[in-house]
Amino acid sequence: MEPMDSLPGADLAAYTNRRIAMTVNGKACLLEVDARDTLAEVLREDLRLTGTKVGCNRAECGSCTVVLDGRAVFACSVLAVELDGRVVQTVEGLAEGDELHPLQSAFIEHDAVQCGICIPGILMALKGLLDRTLTPTEDQILHAVAGNLCRCGTYPNTVKATLAAAAELRARKGQEA
Amino acid sequence: MSRVKGRLLVEGDAPPALERDLAVVGRPINRRDALEKVTGTAMYSSDMVLPGMLHAKILRCPYAHARIRRIDVTRAAALRGVEAILTKDNTRDWHTQWYMIAQPAFPETVAYAGQEVAVVAATTPEIARAAVDLIEVDYEILPAVFTPKAAMKAGAPLVPVLDVEKPRDQNVLRSEYLQGRGDVTRGFNEADVVIESHFTLPTQYHADIQTRCCIADWDGARLTVHESSQGVWNVKRELAKSLGLAEDQVRVVVKYMGGGFGSKAGAQRVIHYAAKLSMLTGRPVRLELTRPEEFVSHPRRYGAEATMRIGATSEGVLTAIDTEVVIDIGSGSMYKGTASVLEQISELYRCPNLRIRLIAVFTNTVPTGPQRGVMDPIATFCMEAAMDDLAVRLGVDPLTIRRLNHTEVFQGFKNGGDDAHSLPYSSKHLDECLKVVAQAVDWEQRDVTRDRYSTNSKKRGIGIAGYCLSRGGYAPFSAKADVVLRGDGSVELQAGVVEIGAGQATILPMIVAEELGIDAERVRIHYGDTDGTHYAPSSHASRITMEMGSATLQAASLARQQLFDRIAHLFQASPQDLAASGGRIYVRGRETNAMDFSEACAFIGEGEIRATGSRIPNPADVVFRGFGAHAAEVEVDLETGEVSILRVVSSHDIGRPLNPKLVESQQYGGTIMGLGYGLFEETALDRKTGVLLNCDLHQYRMPTALEVPSLAFDNVEGEDDFHPYSAKPIGEAPLIGVIPAVRNAVLHAIEVGIYKLPLTSAQVLNALKARNAR
Repeated sequence: MEPMDSLPGADLAAYTNRRIAMTVNGKACLLEVDARDTLAEVLREDLRLTGTKVGCNRAECGSCTVVLDGRAVFACSVLAVELDGRVVQTVEGLAEGDELHPLQSAFIEHDAVQCGICIPGILMALKGLLDRTLTPTEDQILHAVAGNLCRCGTYPNTVKATLAAAAELRARKGQEA
Repeated sequence: MSRVKGRLLVEGDAPPALERDLAVVGRPINRRDALEKVTGTAMYSSDMVLPGMLHAKILRCPYAHARIRRIDVTRAAALRGVEAILTKDNTRDWHTQWYMIAQPAFPETVAYAGQEVAVVAATTPEIARAAVDLIEVDYEILPAVFTPKAAMKAGAPLVPVLDVEKPRDQNVLRSEYLQGRGDVTRGFNEADVVIESHFTLPTQYHADIQTRCCIADWDGARLTVHESSQGVWNVKRELAKSLGLAEDQVRVVVKYMGGGFGSKAGAQRVIHYAAKLSMLTGRPVRLELTRPEEFVSHPRRYGAEATMRIGATSEGVLTAIDTEVVIDIGSGSMYKGTASVLEQISELYRCPNLRIRLIAVFTNTVPTGPQRGVMDPIATFCMEAAMDDLAVRLGVDPLTIRRLNHTEVFQGFKNGGDDAHSLPYSSKHLDECLKVVAQAVDWEQRDVTRDRYSTNSKKRGIGIAGYCLSRGGYAPFSAKADVVLRGDGSVELQAGVVEIGAGQATILPMIVAEELGIDAERVRIHYGDTDGTHYAPSSHASRITMEMGSATLQAASLARQQLFDRIAHLFQASPQDLAASGGRIYVRGRETNAMDFSEACAFIGEGEIRATGSRIPNPADVVFRGFGAHAAEVEVDLETGEVSILRVVSSHDIGRPLNPKLVESQQYGGTIMGLGYGLFEETALDRKTGVLLNCDLHQYRMPTALEVPSLAFDNVEGEDDFHPYSAKPIGEAPLIGVIPAVRNAVLHAIEVGIYKLPLTSAQVLNALKARNAR
């Protein structure tokens, strides 16, 4: 990147090069970030985790949703400098190796995917939900993705897929117990 | 219902029938590219980074109508990291192609607020943004018009002409009676009642979640473009023409795209700019729009004002339809589309006397273009709402009046002095679709249902509407597909289509698998790339199943024939006697003596078997339409005006689904987008400046998961031999008729009609107020 001080009217040097250590998808990441960098930018540009999409860059569409310390957040609206010591999970960290997360399998099976651009965000919003409860109601599912716009209109299949994934997770938990 | 005996519309002989049950087609197979999409590995154009890539940003005009007196880029060009700047001054005579229309890349006179004035390429997006701010423009602000009414007034300022090949000196693009039949005056004289309704329909934004983003990469001899476009071939041709390159010098690649819905059917302006900047700098150039830029730069659905006059006998038989539709086409448009508004009105019902006048008007607003269903939602809303108004006026049941005026045939138009002559539809099941949805909502009991569930503050209502859809298959476009078999047993389909999210990359290989008698997973598909494919239409206008499906079927069938020709002697049989199914090839009737498909392919040796399928344009003596019906049940709150949709039941005349799982998704998506159009989506234009005020996804309200009502589908299936495996188009159909069904349900509930969309609480309260004042 070119030095920012070449930009007119802005002395940004004082704000650059903040060091943060965060955990992304189970891996420790040491990063130098600008004060203005968003989590979405750091994920996409520094870590090249482009599964996190940016459709508006101002918390309107939800396609950048990731799980931060167990809560679904819009990555475009979180500043990276706040993330020292925090734990981030993106769509790339949803599967374990080759084994898909039940949400991913259910999204494929129930065709809750069309053009796909909003899907990583929807999946992470629902991961946030299923981390809290494995018995979500339809209403809870709808509210969990209410901030995620899908112009293809996959919403009804989103609900079916999430109910199926929750059932699968419950079954797995039952086997473990 | 009606149907004519047809044939698959391909060049040369139609493929022979399989003479066995379908094994792959018709099964709910999961979409092919879902895995990449749920794991985040799908690389959309906005996810790609090329070495040495520059970033481009656009300077847009803040005024709706202005002449650029002077533009000075000196300060911007001096900024370190700025590599190239395009303005009108260094691009004179450069015409970009946009929806096949040649227009100046940077006109001297700007036609709408948001139009491009300059583009900067720099080493980082931040520098490009800063450079854009340093460009100095001296504008002469000119008077502007934002509505067709204002634009048609005598002495109105002329909306700048963007189409360099079609000069004009007025704002009216066309004002003509496009279609008609019989004698409207005679028809109204024969009528016992005449109703007149006036409708106002809004524009709609596509609001694709992926904003436009392309990367253009010129290597000194060839241009490669990574795009988010609905059609690689259309983009390639438009780019070549715009840049003065040979077609072979342009390669366009689209593997994934984040929504199109008609807005990305051709080469968008950003692609031309990125390509030009890459050719100037010799480096890859990435140009991505922000969300507000999406709103002010990409084409939107046409807004319309329509007057419908309908005459009928006291029993409800239509005697005359006279319609005038004024369409706001903004500062530019894909012109051909403006005519299709008429089809629904002229052919949904039998009516011997018909006249439709179209007035298309330019305004100083964002250009317009096709959006899912194009004009059909406008026309269907006007026709179906007017039919219910007529039913109320006559005291006739709305379903009965529709059945009474049902037509089995396309009624045709008066051509010069000739009388209209009718033509058959390839198939039509509108009457059955109406029956299915009526049964689902217990239509006969609808007044009882209304009265039982209505209270003093909330009213229940049930409404119905039919639709017809015209798309795809028309000349001059061709549609070709190639199937290649190789000695290693591999099967490749080469199709120049884009996977827009509707399942194109899934259904076309299913067709190949069916024809070759193998599993769908065995068929690889090379798509979304102009290299290694023939011309294919864009994934728009419901044409991929219809056109590329037929071409693919033919290619696969011809490849099978070639394979049979090579190996028939091994069976001591003639090629015609061979059959393929279950991954095996055998002599028909002697299935125990079979050869594995891979084993058969081994006889191809080092070379390959290649077959090309080609879809021909629709014949002139048959009419191709999709039909269907919706019924809606609503509850209207009389105090707040809120309309709650309790359920929508839809029945589409779809022939046979190639893949029922993907068809269901199209039904959900189309219906939900239709509900958005009819209920929520509204633009706010500053009346004085023409600046769009709600160019963001919070204030431009499209449906979220919370706004989706209960949706049920019960389709009417049937044969239609003109389509591959009888699969009729479904991509746009579900959007078209849903809103008039909701509107008619509101009419049933509150006994007052709504004439303006979106059907918001405010509209309902206004209507109630008007009713109470009467």
